[in-house]
Amino acid sequence: MSEDGISKEPMLEMYLFEGNQLVEQLEEIIIKCEKDKKFEMAAINEIFRIMHTIKGSSAMMMFNQIGSVAHSMEDLFFFIRANQNIQLDFVGLSDLVLAGIDFIKAEMNKIEQGNIADGLGDDLIAEIKTMLIQMKNSYENQNTMPATLPDSSPDGAKPKYYISSYKKPSEEKRLDTKYCVEIFFEEDCQMENIRAYMVINNLQDIVKDMYYIPANVIDDGDSADIIREKGFLICFSTSVSYAEVESTLHQTAFLRRMEINQVDQYPDAIKALYGKREIILEDAFEVDPQPKIETAEVGKEGDLGIGNSRQQNIISVSVAKLDMLMDIVGEIVISEAMVTKNSDLAGLQLDGFSKAARQLRKLTDELQDIVMSIRMVPVSIVFQKMNRIVRDMSKKLAKEVDLEIIGDTTEVDKNIIDHLSDPLMHLIRNAMDHGLEKKEDRVKAVKPSKGKVTLEAKNAGGDVLIIVRDDGKGLDREKILNKARERGLVHKPEHELTDKEIFSYILLAGFSTNEQVTEFSGRGVGMDVVTKNIEKIGGSITIESVFGKGTEIFVKIPLTLAIIDGIEVSVGKSRYTIPTISIRESFRIDESDVTSDGDGNEMIMIRGQCYPVLRIHRMFNIKNPVMRISDGIMVMIESDSKTACLFVDKLVGEQQVVVKALPRYLKKVQGIAGCTILGDGGISLILDVNGILERQLS
Amino acid sequence: MGKSVLIVDDAMFMRLTLKLMLEKNGFQVVGEAENGAVAVAKYKELKPDIVTMDITMPEVDGIMALRQIRAMDDKAKVVMVSAMGQEVMIREAVMAGAKSFIVKPFKEEGVIKTLSNL
Repeated sequence: MSEDGISKEPMLEMYLFEGNQLVEQLEEIIIKCEKDKKFEMAAINEIFRIMHTIKGSSAMMMFNQIGSVAHSMEDLFFFIRANQNIQLDFVGLSDLVLAGIDFIKAEMNKIEQGNIADGLGDDLIAEIKTMLIQMKNSYENQNTMPATLPDSSPDGAKPKYYISSYKKPSEEKRLDTKYCVEIFFEEDCQMENIRAYMVINNLQDIVKDMYYIPANVIDDGDSADIIREKGFLICFSTSVSYAEVESTLHQTAFLRRMEINQVDQYPDAIKALYGKREIILEDAFEVDPQPKIETAEVGKEGDLGIGNSRQQNIISVSVAKLDMLMDIVGEIVISEAMVTKNSDLAGLQLDGFSKAARQLRKLTDELQDIVMSIRMVPVSIVFQKMNRIVRDMSKKLAKEVDLEIIGDTTEVDKNIIDHLSDPLMHLIRNAMDHGLEKKEDRVKAVKPSKGKVTLEAKNAGGDVLIIVRDDGKGLDREKILNKARERGLVHKPEHELTDKEIFSYILLAGFSTNEQVTEFSGRGVGMDVVTKNIEKIGGSITIESVFGKGTEIFVKIPLTLAIIDGIEVSVGKSRYTIPTISIRESFRIDESDVTSDGDGNEMIMIRGQCYPVLRIHRMFNIKNPVMRISDGIMVMIESDSKTACLFVDKLVGEQQVVVKALPRYLKKVQGIAGCTILGDGGISLILDVNGILERQLS
Repeated sequence: MGKSVLIVDDAMFMRLTLKLMLEKNGFQVVGEAENGAVAVAKYKELKPDIVTMDITMPEVDGIMALRQIRAMDDKAKVVMVSAMGQEVMIREAVMAGAKSFIVKPFKEEGVIKTLSNL
């Protein structure tokens, strides 16, 4: 394309973007077909179409290996589409298509990384071709009728020169002139036979009769070669003027050379064939229509879940732009508050202004909501990928597994979903490899021989909970504890350890109780990476398990990283934001309600429960805070079933804040999750409730 | 002002490629459609001088769309965009009134020549 002088950059980007999308769609279809144990017509059409598109785009970009693989795949599905009642080898076919998908994916990945797509698809193409031949053979045996494929020109048959004629319905002969025209097309114009056909088509309205060589310009693929070499000869008689004949013929595209001759008689070649009565009359108006399989299938695509219609009215926007938009909207929200709550306005009675300000407030809120919702994407994007993992793993491990997906319409922020794929993949692999028993063992344990892995997503307050559940052998508490002891990871009296704490040892680096290292797991890398990745996006992992029954892994992730609801509190001159989601209640108490133990740790008793009191001014060394308990206020916070009371000077108000990361020059401060800019331009630190509880209670 | 063109193709990549080529050569791409149904609606709305029409598309394919456009406007100039091996379909399209065709993978020169010739 570069020789055309068009920048390849946007095309390449689009090629990769669309290619990846198509390949993913394709994978989804195959997995679904495999599960249903049948290839629906709609699916076959869709696979054919996707391969056709990839072939075309790859050829344009000169990624010939990808193009060739897609092409052979397209041929295969063309055949299947044209011969619907054919016996299909589902397993073989799915494997082959998936292998094709993997090849294309790998190549596209190379391109994306800036490498050369140097993979050779020859073996794969040969395999696909073999399958096509096998299919054709078995189809012939099945039906005794050879399958008709447009590109399967019978090898043995010699190119036929025959004549077709076109006659205008009986018209009286007038003074007609006979013409013989020889046409040569430009090299590289491609499909010379169709170009010739267009000449015929254009002439139709002005001629009385028409003969041409080669005659079967459409159905005979060889005719293109003949025209390329020997030209296209067309003879006709007409009553219209020479000028009109000429101008009609000049409409033809890609003409290299044309000779128009008025003749008294048609040349011998045509006469000879004509005389031999080999004329095959071809009524140009009655062309056998292409088998229209697609039309009836349109409605079905919906239940396949492919739904092309969803592409309509949707545009793709780069995430970077959305991030920018989000940032600006955040600033607007702050500016709005800076204007409407400006201290210059204090004490003024401004009815008109207040009304306008309220309207502005309403609109900025709406704007923020919409921008947020633009960034939300359903987790199904990630969940659907797991089907493939389960499929491949169950084949390799010889374990039969059902993957159940629940709540995949749950939405999370785009920034978060990008970090979900790898951790989930690990968890699913672990569940299948370590979690589920072998078939024999399952039968022994009186379980269904088919294992079950469930992937569930649901909203839980401001978070999304993703659960990976298996009905396998469960975690062995003692084994994990022994291993943890060996590694010196146990820092607590053992009788105080809860199951949850013990299970969480498997999330640490280098921890694997699996004696056997398999291709997929057992090396002890993985779970710690999973934990790190989840923590990076502000999430957490907990594990529950019943020995012999199964394991549940709970991955809690925030809906979004960008905006939270918070309660503003002040301590001394500092302001803090506590995420509303973590606050259970707030209340005033008297000095006498607080008791303290020997080490100076304070506690209060609320409704018969004892809670530790944490004074923020002590944690962050704030000067001049409220010291008397009765002058300040208690805020009860909770996270992960841990609870405590924070002592602050006063509550300032409730508001939505845009979370900004702490500047890089500040090291991560335990207990602080980030910061936000307040309406008056001041800065408020956002408390990391989980971090505070962990630090104070351990 | 160059001739106005409506690009119809289900592949975003192809639409972009054609658009870049056409705009570089003074054509004015007034619209894009990702399937035949949208193409027909957009034709009605935009009345472009030329339509480039892919053949293999979901729901309403290029030939059906061509027929519908020609039924609306018998002077419509539709150029089919097809891949090798689709000769039969192109013939059908030509019968149905397609003015010319482009074969994928196409080159800028050929595309411009074909469209300029109409």
